[in-house]
Amino acid sequence: MTAPQLQSARIDSTGETPLAIQVSGLTKVYPNGLAAVDNISFDVKEGEIFGLLGPNGAGKTTTIKMVTTLTPPTAGSAKVFGIDVASSPQRVRQMLGFVPQAVSVDGDLTGYENLLIFAKLFFVDRDQRNERIHEALDLFGLSDRADDLVKHYSGGMMRRLEIAQALVNRPRLLFLDEPSIGLDPYSRLQVIEHIRKLNQGFGTTILLTTHDMAEADELCDRLAIMNLGKIAVSGGPRELKRTVGGDVLTVAVSGGAPASLPPELGTVVSTEQGTMKILTVDGERAIPRVTEYLERTGVVVESVSLSRPTLDDVFMKYAKTSLQQEGTYRQTRSERRAIVRHGR
Amino acid sequence: MSGLPRPISSILTIAEMEARKLRHDSTELWMRCVQPTLWLLVFGEVFNAIRGLAPGGFSYMQYIAPGVLAQSVLFVAIFYGITIVWERDIGLLTKLLSTPSSRTSIVVGKALAAGVRGIFMGAMLFALAVIIGVNLRFDPLDVTGVFVVVVLFAMCFSCLSMTLASFLKTRDRMMGIGQVITMPLFFASNAIYPLSMMPGWLQSIAAYNPLSYVVDAIRSMLLTGDYSGLPLDILVLFGSTVLFVATASILLKRLIE
Repeated sequence: MTAPQLQSARIDSTGETPLAIQVSGLTKVYPNGLAAVDNISFDVKEGEIFGLLGPNGAGKTTTIKMVTTLTPPTAGSAKVFGIDVASSPQRVRQMLGFVPQAVSVDGDLTGYENLLIFAKLFFVDRDQRNERIHEALDLFGLSDRADDLVKHYSGGMMRRLEIAQALVNRPRLLFLDEPSIGLDPYSRLQVIEHIRKLNQGFGTTILLTTHDMAEADELCDRLAIMNLGKIAVSGGPRELKRTVGGDVLTVAVSGGAPASLPPELGTVVSTEQGTMKILTVDGERAIPRVTEYLERTGVVVESVSLSRPTLDDVFMKYAKTSLQQEGTYRQTRSERRAIVRHGR
Repeated sequence: MSGLPRPISSILTIAEMEARKLRHDSTELWMRCVQPTLWLLVFGEVFNAIRGLAPGGFSYMQYIAPGVLAQSVLFVAIFYGITIVWERDIGLLTKLLSTPSSRTSIVVGKALAAGVRGIFMGAMLFALAVIIGVNLRFDPLDVTGVFVVVVLFAMCFSCLSMTLASFLKTRDRMMGIGQVITMPLFFASNAIYPLSMMPGWLQSIAAYNPLSYVVDAIRSMLLTGDYSGLPLDILVLFGSTVLFVATASILLKRLIE
């Protein structure tokens, strides 16, 4: 089982990794004057999982719609593997798969039929069609329900069927709009596992949107946090978390805590009532070394706990502050209206 | 299907989707058969008593059978836009439009899907005519011709319906506009009475009503065997179909923006 070999891969200007998505100055202004997406630029490298994060109404879905050729940009450009979405929409669509936020499988067809119809609309070779469909159903645990109408599926099964489509069509680039929304924790884990399987097993480049920070942290190689139509910050989850401060070790000791530590172990932020707070760069690695050092100096360590910054902190730092500044009543109202209008 | 040109393959796939759905559940279409049955059995039977209402010495039952057939297809087609709005609401339309299949082939495919429903209605009406003994010309070529007209007609009005859907955007409004359109179309046509019985102003309206041409075409094949008006009927129907396919293809993307 190999990933599809497509010849049209383009090399970006630096001549290194091909860019799956290249977005520059992309803007979408709706007729009511609301700039849903406001001059954003980002790149997605081939083979990575890229996350677009942000609160509802941040412009994530609109961005996806523009890149998937579903709605034309007001300004700016987007290229998918070097092909411009505005000038060759059909060629771009041939390379991508899209799982919209709303349930996009047909409840009045069986699981097998859903995969079959969309394989045909994607012009998947007749010889490979059935084999791939059965393989996909198998891999996503849907084989025994393949001939049941999809309207009798659970939400998690529907989501899996939608993602399984990607295994039949083998797009180079898969868009997932809020893939785990409305799923119970178990289904959510399954979906996440399948997304990873597609990425690692088939080399599918994935762009997903989510407002679940933990999920993004778990899945994404790189991410961009959007707010009010702009990209507030982008980068790898680790480096982003580092920008909001390092890891904090809380160490309970008995026998008099030292006022300072060797600098390579970390900085003592506070010491009170036998509890030390130590700021370090890489908390997990620091735990044994700090413990060993303290024991060696005659301090008895009773417990150690680690708290690391999460993407929530990153989000609060870069997005929430500006949301509070600019999130006026009028803004909220028009965002909600936009959501109602688009039936979501 | 890899041998077919891509647009044709997409069109047939969308129609296949509809056929498969109808195979799983055709309750809606069976219920849609109730109304034409009433038109034939009640309305037709009562007016059958009035001699000379239908021209050419045919019984009134014979006369309105083609009209009722056309009407039942009209109903199926004019409400087809509701299906599109529903598919938009659940996200299916977005997914259809994100496939490499062209917009036009998706619209034509949807229109053909309405045609599939039209064929179902046509078959039901034929069966009904046989059961209640309405004497029609069941010549295989004529029957085939009727189905061709039925499919074109369903395509024409389902595309009009999709065009309307791109402006109206909700199922409720589509229900409303469907009600507004169907009755005038039906009554200002030759479906249940000859054009010659109408006052002059209504006749001139009926002349622009595609339904009149459809009924005329079906009636010439099933009843009179007089094909002199057929070329014009087909021409008008084909022209309107092309026009509405074009508008629906251009406007459909409005639904997802």
